[in-house]
Amino acid sequence: MLGVVIGGSGSGKSEFAESLIINENKGNNLFYLATMQPFDEEAFKKIERHRKMRAKKNFDTIECQTHLEKVNMPKASSALLECMSNLVANEMFSPEGAGKDCVDAIKEGLKHLLSQTENLVVVTNNVFEDGIAYEKESVKYIKNIGLINQWLCQRADRVVEVVFGIPIDIK
Amino acid sequence: MWLITGGAFQGKLNFALEKTGFSKEDIVDGEKCDIESIYQGKIINNFHTLIKRLIKDGKDPKEVTETVIKNNPDAIIIINEVGNGIVPIDALERQAREATGRCGTILAQNSKKVYRVLCGIGTCIKG
Repeated sequence: MLGVVIGGSGSGKSEFAESLIINENKGNNLFYLATMQPFDEEAFKKIERHRKMRAKKNFDTIECQTHLEKVNMPKASSALLECMSNLVANEMFSPEGAGKDCVDAIKEGLKHLLSQTENLVVVTNNVFEDGIAYEKESVKYIKNIGLINQWLCQRADRVVEVVFGIPIDIK
Repeated sequence: MWLITGGAFQGKLNFALEKTGFSKEDIVDGEKCDIESIYQGKIINNFHTLIKRLIKDGKDPKEVTETVIKNNPDAIIIINEVGNGIVPIDALERQAREATGRCGTILAQNSKKVYRVLCGIGTCIKG
């Protein structure tokens, strides 16, 4: 099962995504693929909050801030990737990232994850509806997330939008 | 008339082409078309950008919207959702954002079907 969970900031999408992957997992290895770089105090606190939330849920955490293709999981694992907007930012802007080839690199990385998993859930953000005329690089960042979301959701078995903690099935 | 909305980069135009069977030649682009063409075109893309252009030129977007409804009642209109964010500091951006919401509402009222597209997936929210 490939699932995509999308929502705004603080919508409860992570918690929903965790319960989705746990319900789908039938006793296989369960991984949490963490993409956030703990570059400051605020990010660190956010990571801590998410760690506490998952503490009793038996996830093994794999750090993958760039290069999904390097992730190694046993066949037929279940994995939760959180989240796409961080991953795209890391691939585009950090020195070890794929830079301008970010969209293709992430698609290849996702194919690699799909080959190792029976269940994969990807968390992504709705950053597309504020209508602000950002400068070029930010527009490209938003566009790249949009393109990857579309690619992923075309393949997904289930796509869920979370609004204030309420899951709405859109596929 | 149909209205197709959603955020930026969600695949709205592709969704419109797939759903209607129209071809790329049927698209009128609100970003650069002359005003007359929106009263005849089959698919009017980037209606939110057209609204911004109208305001810049001192024209009334509401009037133009009502004329489209009257003269081109079978059009497929594509308009971005631009209202889910912070109020912009720039006056033109602020006016355009507000007008997009108002004109989109009038278009939706006059549409048989309204779709919201997210991640390439269209959900029918009216009709």
